[in-house]
Amino acid sequence: MDNPLVQVDPGLYFWTIATFLVLVFLLAKFAWRPLLDALERRQETIRKSLDDADAARGELERLQSESAEILKAARVEAEAIVSKSRADALQLGEELKQKARGEADAIVREAKRQIESEKSQALREIRGEVADLSIRIASKLIERNISREDNERLVEETLESLEAGQR
Amino acid sequence: MIEPARLQEELAGEATEAFDAGEVMIGHIANSPEPLIHLPDVLPFDISITKHVFMLWLVAAAVFFLVTFTVRRYLRQPQMVPSGFANVLEYMVIWVRDSIVEPNVGKRWVRTWAPWLLTFFVFILGANAIGMIPIFEVTGLFNHYVLHGGEDAFLTHLGHGGATATANFNVTAGLATVTFFSIIAAGTLAHGFVQHWKHLAPGGLNFVLRFVVVLIEIMGMFVRPFALTMRLAANMTGGHLAILAILSMVFLFAELFGSALLGIAVGAFVSVPLAVGISALELIVILVQAYVFTLLSAVFIGMAIHVHH
Repeated sequence: MDNPLVQVDPGLYFWTIATFLVLVFLLAKFAWRPLLDALERRQETIRKSLDDADAARGELERLQSESAEILKAARVEAEAIVSKSRADALQLGEELKQKARGEADAIVREAKRQIESEKSQALREIRGEVADLSIRIASKLIERNISREDNERLVEETLESLEAGQR
Repeated sequence: MIEPARLQEELAGEATEAFDAGEVMIGHIANSPEPLIHLPDVLPFDISITKHVFMLWLVAAAVFFLVTFTVRRYLRQPQMVPSGFANVLEYMVIWVRDSIVEPNVGKRWVRTWAPWLLTFFVFILGANAIGMIPIFEVTGLFNHYVLHGGEDAFLTHLGHGGATATANFNVTAGLATVTFFSIIAAGTLAHGFVQHWKHLAPGGLNFVLRFVVVLIEIMGMFVRPFALTMRLAANMTGGHLAILAILSMVFLFAELFGSALLGIAVGAFVSVPLAVGISALELIVILVQAYVFTLLSAVFIGMAIHVHH
């Protein structure tokens, strides 16, 4: 064939294959394999970083919810403490009031009792004095006409009637 | 690609002869008529360095240094942050790996075949692309007007014809042959040598049918690389032929009406705008053809690895 467009050219055919094979060898060794390996490594690194970030975000969320839980629990506890101490204080106050009232009552009662006993003792003494006085006055008045026994009986009767009259 | 100036210069040089568009067009597409460097024949074959061999070497060297330099610089960094050309390269490598290699050959064989198919892609793309840059037309003009190189000067031979190496079907046949043996290698690596060939003849068929199937399979083995060869060469030739034909109109009109002014007018208002448009289309074609060759090679290799019956 003399058409140069379809001329068989074994030399060119041979050189094409040879050139390509040499290029494949060189590029694979110096460019493609190192690059492909590096790309794979980077892909791995990125995947790992994303996983790590995910894990970190999960951990952070967990910690946040945990701390919120703790805060809530603390608030509830604080409220409980406050209300309990308020109740305690109220109760204590009540108790103290009760006790104070009781003590006051006791003091008043004791005072009344003492006053009563003082009064009755005073009355008794006054009565004795009065009896003595009366006897002395009566003796002076009647002078010995009545025996001593009679006298005493008389006085006794008088006093009893006095006491009865007083009641 | 061709410069109108060069055609004009040719026309001026052969003013007495009629302008033969077909001759000029073929001259610009076919390999150089004379080898650049004569080498002794190996057996009956002439393995002299022609212009297309030279172009392939130029492409191989350019691709190798560009890719290797970029990758080395990229990987030397403490952190893998791509910048500049490394971005393009990384995108391309990931794209070839993830959308051409892996879906076809499967995850297990990516490491084996990714470098192979990546080289196919960049080499074919480079060889296609070099045809888009009129370097040899420029060196031809330089040689003619500045160096006044004689008939046997290196640059004179370099200036003769051959727009794109991948438009020469000897080159594409070489590449398809590589694919042909890659398919066999892939089947052998995946299933063992004997088992790979046994896949030609699926079991469970009677003798006649099996014979037919084996025949078809063997035909298929050769048809696939043949289709690869023709597709790439024809596509690369087509665009250049179209551009050359459109630019030839300048001289055809000038000759037809005997007016250089008319020729220049046609060139300025018809040929150059159209040629620019087709060149833009060619930019897509060179990418698509490199992609198609790589993709089909990956598909065939994948078929040898994952045999379906």
